[in-house]
Formats: sequence, C-alpha cells, structure tokens
Amino acid sequence: MRTSRFAAATASLALAAAACGGPHPAGPDGSVPFEITGDMPPAKGPVDAVTWSLYAEPQSLDYAYAFDYPPNTVLANVCEQLMRITPDMRLEPGLAVAVASPDPRRWVYTIRSGVRFHDGSTLTADDVVASLRRHMDPEVGSYWVSVFQNVTSIEKTGPLEVTVRLKKPDQLFNEQMGTSAGTVASAASLAERGYGTPDAGVDCTGPYAFDGWQKGQSITLRKFDGYWDRALAPKAGTIRHVFIQDPAARVNALLAGEVDGGYLLPSSGFARLRAATTGRLYFGPNTTAVNLIPTDLKGTLGDLRVRRALSMALDRPGIIKAAAAGVGTPSKAPAAIGAWGIAPEAAKGYYDRLPPLGQDLAAARKLVQEAGAAGRKIVMATSTLSPEIGVIANAVQSAGQAIGLRVELKAVAPDAYSALFADAKAREGLDLVMTTWYDSTPDPLEFYGVLQTGNFANYGGYTNPAYDALVDEANAQADPAARAATVARLQEIAVRELVWIPLYEVPHSVFVNNRITGAPTGIAQLVYPWAAALGSAG
Amino acid sequence: MTVLPLRRHRPSTPARLLGGDRLVTAALAVLAVPAVAAVCAPLIAPYAPDAVDLSATLSGAGAEHLLGADQSGRDVLSRLIHGARTGLLGPLLVVVVSTVAGTLLGVAAAWLGGAFDALLSRAMDLVFSFPALLLAILLVAVSGPGLTAPVLAMSVAYAPYVGRLARSAALQEKTRPYIQAYRVQGWSGWAICLWHLVPNIAPLVLAQSVTNFGYALMDLAALSFLGFGVQPPTADWGAMVNEGAAALLQGAMLPALAPGAAIVITVVAFGIVGEALADRVARRER
Repeated sequence: MRTSRFAAATASLALAAAACGGPHPAGPDGSVPFEITGDMPPAKGPVDAVTWSLYAEPQSLDYAYAFDYPPNTVLANVCEQLMRITPDMRLEPGLAVAVASPDPRRWVYTIRSGVRFHDGSTLTADDVVASLRRHMDPEVGSYWVSVFQNVTSIEKTGPLEVTVRLKKPDQLFNEQMGTSAGTVASAASLAERGYGTPDAGVDCTGPYAFDGWQKGQSITLRKFDGYWDRALAPKAGTIRHVFIQDPAARVNALLAGEVDGGYLLPSSGFARLRAATTGRLYFGPNTTAVNLIPTDLKGTLGDLRVRRALSMALDRPGIIKAAAAGVGTPSKAPAAIGAWGIAPEAAKGYYDRLPPLGQDLAAARKLVQEAGAAGRKIVMATSTLSPEIGVIANAVQSAGQAIGLRVELKAVAPDAYSALFADAKAREGLDLVMTTWYDSTPDPLEFYGVLQTGNFANYGGYTNPAYDALVDEANAQADPAARAATVARLQEIAVRELVWIPLYEVPHSVFVNNRITGAPTGIAQLVYPWAAALGSAG
Repeated sequence: MTVLPLRRHRPSTPARLLGGDRLVTAALAVLAVPAVAAVCAPLIAPYAPDAVDLSATLSGAGAEHLLGADQSGRDVLSRLIHGARTGLLGPLLVVVVSTVAGTLLGVAAAWLGGAFDALLSRAMDLVFSFPALLLAILLVAVSGPGLTAPVLAMSVAYAPYVGRLARSAALQEKTRPYIQAYRVQGWSGWAICLWHLVPNIAPLVLAQSVTNFGYALMDLAALSFLGFGVQPPTADWGAMVNEGAAALLQGAMLPALAPGAAIVITVVAFGIVGEALADRVARRER
C-alpha cells in the first residue's frame, strides 16, 4: 500500500509538471518545413559492423512473401532482381545484363555471366526460371502472383537466356522485375525445405549474405566478398538488423547510439531525431500516399456526390499536423507524385491540372442533401495498430458528422487490420478504410492498374470499361512518355470519380548516427542494396 | 434454561465501520470525484468526448483545454470525465458478479462440507492458478474485443478470492451458538445462511470486494491499454493511456499521464478504503 500511495503522489507531481508540455508547432497548412535529400554524403571508409533497426521482425525472408518494409529492407542487400530500381527511381539492368521485347507479348532476358551465389555456385538461366516460376505455383502462394497474371510461360531459351511469354502486352511486368517479383535465388536452395525461415535462410547473389537469424531479436548479414558489382562492393563487415517494435524505444535507441540507423521512423519521433546532435534525420523521395479507400461502392459511398462531399469536408492540413507530425503534403491524387519515376517532369504538369482538394463544408453539406444521404451511415475501420489510423478515423468521423453523415468507427484488432487488404470477408460491413500505399516501381501504372475491374486490390469493386481499356492501352505502350500520358488520363478519371480519396503524401525517412553515412534516403531502399554504400563517416 | 442471542449483533454499515479516519475520509472524497464524473459526465464535461479539433492537436494545458488535447485534438479532461463511466462500470460489474458468485460458492462449500466442499475448493484453486489477464485475452480472442469478455473473465477470476474468504468466514460462523439455536428451532440451512450467516460475514466480504474493485479497475484498464478491452474511439482510461503513449515522444505528457494518474489515484483510494474496512472488521471480531 505504501508503494501505491507513493506512486499516486509521483503521478500527481508529474501531471502538474507536464501541464506545459506540448508538441512542436506546425504551419497554417499543417506541415512543418522539411527538405527532401536524395543522398547522404558518401562513406569515407569501411566499418566493421553496423546495427540497423527494424520496426518489426520479418515473418519470412522468402522473396515470394516479401511484401512489406521489414523483409524488403533486409532482402534488398541479400537478394537481387533481374532489373534494378536505382535510388533515383530509374530502371536499369540488374542480374539481366540486357532485356529485349521482340514482340509485345515476349520479354527476353539475357542473364549476366560470372555472377556467383553466396554458396559459391554460378548463376544460370535455370535459377532464373525456377525463381520466377515459383510465383505462379499455387502451393507457394506468392504475394506477387498478380505480377504474373498475363504470363503464359517462362522458359530457358539459351544457356544465359530466359524468355517470358505473355497473354497480352504487359510493360509493367518488366518493371516489376526490379521488385521481389524478379528476385533470383539459387534453384538448389529453393528446392530445400524451409527456404527463407530462420533455420534455412536464403541463398542469393547480393552484396551481403545471410549469416543468422536470432528469433525475436535480430537478423545478421555478412559481407559477400564474391559480389559481382564492384561499384557496390560492401563497406561494412556485418549488418545486424535488430527488431524494435515500440516507437519510443526505437527512437531512444537511435538517439543513444545503441543502433546506428533505421528507415521508416515513427512520425512522433521526428522532432527529437531532428534535434539530435548524435546523428541526422533525412527525408528522402517516396512513392507513398495516404488514402481513404471506399470499400463498398454499393453502399452510402457508392454515390459519387457523397464521396465528393466527404472529401470536401476533410481538413487535410489538420490531419497532416495531427497524424504525421506535420511532415507531409496534402495530395490531389491517390498515387504519390514520387511514383511517376518514368516521367517525373511531365508528372508535375499532369498533377497541376488536377483540381485542388480544399475544405468546403457548406458545399459538402449541399452535396449530401442533393444525394439524399443526410443521416446515412458510413462505417470506417479504426485500430490501435498505429496512431495515424485512429487520428484519421477520428478526423473522418468529425468531418462526416459536420456535413450530415453518420460515421461510425468500427474497431479492428491490430493483428486483423492487415487482413482488411487481403480478405474480402474481413471488409464486410465496412465502407471506408485508411491505407498507406507505396509503389515499388517507378511506374504510376502500378497504382492505377489496381483500379481495373477485378484486380485483387480494387477493394471497392470499382468498374469502368473505359478505365479498363485505358489500363490495357497504357500497359501496351513501350514508350515511357506515351505510357505516362495515358496513365495521366487514368489519374484524371480516378480523381474525378474519387475511387480512392486522397489525403496526403509523406517523405521516406532514415536516421543515421554520426559514425556512418552513405545509404540512399528514398524508398528505393526496399529493392536497392542500400547497405552496400554504407560506411564510415569520418 | 440458557438464553441464546438470536443475532450476535446488528450488521455494520460502511459509514459506521469507517467513521473517524481522516485518510479514509479523504479516500472516500477522492472516490466521489470519478463517481460524480461518471454520473454527470454530459453535464460537467466541457466538450463532447469525441469532439475533434485538429488545430488543437497535442496542445498543452490552457484555458481552452484544461488538461490539453490528445493527438486528434480531443479534450483530455472531457475524455477523462467520460472515461470514468467505463472505468467504474466495468469493475463494478466484476465486483458485483464475483461477490455474489464467490459468496454463494464459499458459503455453500462451508455449509455443506464433505465432498462438495473439497470439489468447490479445488475448483477455486484451479481458477486461482490461471492468470486473470490471460483468461481475458483468451475470451476476447473467441468473442472479439469490448467490455463484455474482459468483465466476464475478471468476474470468473475474482470469484475465488471472495469464495475462499467467504468459506473461511462461514466455517467459523457455522460453529457459533446462534447458528445451532436456529437449527434446533428447525430453520432450514438455506434460511439460516440467507438471513443470518451471510449478513454476519458481509462486512468482511465487502472489505475484500472494495479492494477487488481497485484491482479489477487496474486489470480492465490494462486490457484496454493492450487493445483487448474497451475500443477506440470510446473514452476509457486504459485506452487513453494507449492512445496517448505515442504523443510522449512529441513532448505531450498529459494525454497518457492524466488517465494514468486517474487509474493510480482511484486504485489507491479503493485500496485505502478496502484496507480500512478489513481492519475495522478484524478489530470488531477481536
């Protein structure tokens, strides 16, 4: 009892002391000033070991299931793809030294010679065929299977040549060969049981080799001396990825120097990391956009006027300030402008043509009245999975109520929130979910393609024959500029019909302490061997 | 002829039992605050608990928001006041259910004795050996998050505490001469227990239940903090600590600290009252 009374007194004192506490101020548009930095200063020399933080432990290191930040951050240094997506979001040859498309339904990959796997064996066309075909095996259940939806065959057509035949033209397929869909692992390792598990690990060709996986604690990689690309010869002896789930613990570990760095940092820690003298917080190029997805276009949100009204009622600067600590910009389209790597300059023009998404409560109320939707119910998912989800759900509820809609929040368990995007049954009864969506390739068609009829990620069941035809048209255009122009038309339709309701874009984030430097700052780190350039800062 | 008293004494009321102790009076006064807040929440809260003001996100204490605002710009004081409802209702249900069930089982075991006593006692031992929070989490996994499953689990988990105490007290009481007198007069066991035995052990059980109230409040808040109990956006102290934890990194302490302090202070106050009750009952017994 004595202890409890002391605790109560201490809590009361702390409460009083904290009365003047508060966050750092944001500007009137909700954002705080931040600068996008493409690269860190290059490393000046090697380092023995680097400790890197991940916000969660990967469930597997099998590239077929690498569809999230933690596994991709590890695998980017261990496994490589036929194509390579560079830090400035360009597509260049990777394990394929050349790619050709003799006709629109065929991709021919010439495999780089002299490349060795971590076990010492040599890369062959058989390894490529085995790795790619695996995505199409229903027993594997690859998360990347949709990339192969137009593929009819994958064959070895020469000692170092692989040919992929398609049902219909698919430009995006080649770009996806720069993601986990195009990863090549040794056929021998794939045939073994438990590929990608903590016990078996993986056998690939990247600058770092899998060294060990201490369950619940860390994954360690060791430098691969036989790496083929001398421009990316690794500078660190070992990279130890440690799993720190709690945002505060992760930020404190970075500030205290317990870990050397980490990507994708919690926005709640930005202010402290920016003020740190022990390291530097960088914001890098990103393809990520935060959106609301109407998941039932036959319900209340099936009426475009209601979707428009809800969009017009949202206080985007306020949401950015509250949910992203001010580090973000209001968006006008569901795909981030950073996702237009195939035509970055043209993308700005396409983006400028889009109407602004400002707040207008009076007009929104009028739209709701016109639609006869006053008092109608919208159910939105909320969760304690991350603070942004709750903040955005609360903001949407408030906005909806302000214009005469009845927004109910349905709590979804943290573990079940991901299932909303994988299982249609999990979305039953919901009208709206919030998502943080990133593209893996530099092609905006990757996003706008998912709104095609029947696509797995077309969660609301949007269907528009004209839109579907444009997706096919874009996917058949080999010229990036022409494809981008077609995708711009898709963007206009998606924005006009508010298939997804755009909220804001955020930069990618990375913190490194003063000991190390050299890693790319952008989201390409998920597929690019980011740790290869990481070395000593002094 | 020997004259036996029909009752040993009049049942004590909490007021009589607690009178005179300043600390206990202070604890009762402290407990009156969340109780009044729970009853009068819509009247005294300055804002609706889910009123969002994004321009006030994580603002510190000030004239507009006396305890600041949380990450969604909701008034912390208003949510604290409304949170008293779930904060007190849950433990109240746990205490009522566990007290009734525990007393029933404990008195039945003591009165009937033999194999029935052994069976009930072992069953209570079994429940004792199972962590209450784990039981609640298992029930939530089956029935989904919310207040019902945690309250049910906590009621099951707390019933043996009351049951064991009630059994022990009833065993002692059973040997008293007045019980024998009622038996001689032909009263049924049911009537003796209901009208005489239970009222006489009630102060002791009540003291235990008051202490249990504080523990149940803490357990239910912990479940809400972990995401298994009351779900957002409902105002609840445990859920508020969870939602406010992310803001600690941004220098905003009040969204997590205010509900945390409310939990601590309420639990301690219940502990003081419960201990005082138990002390007085023990003194009276001596």
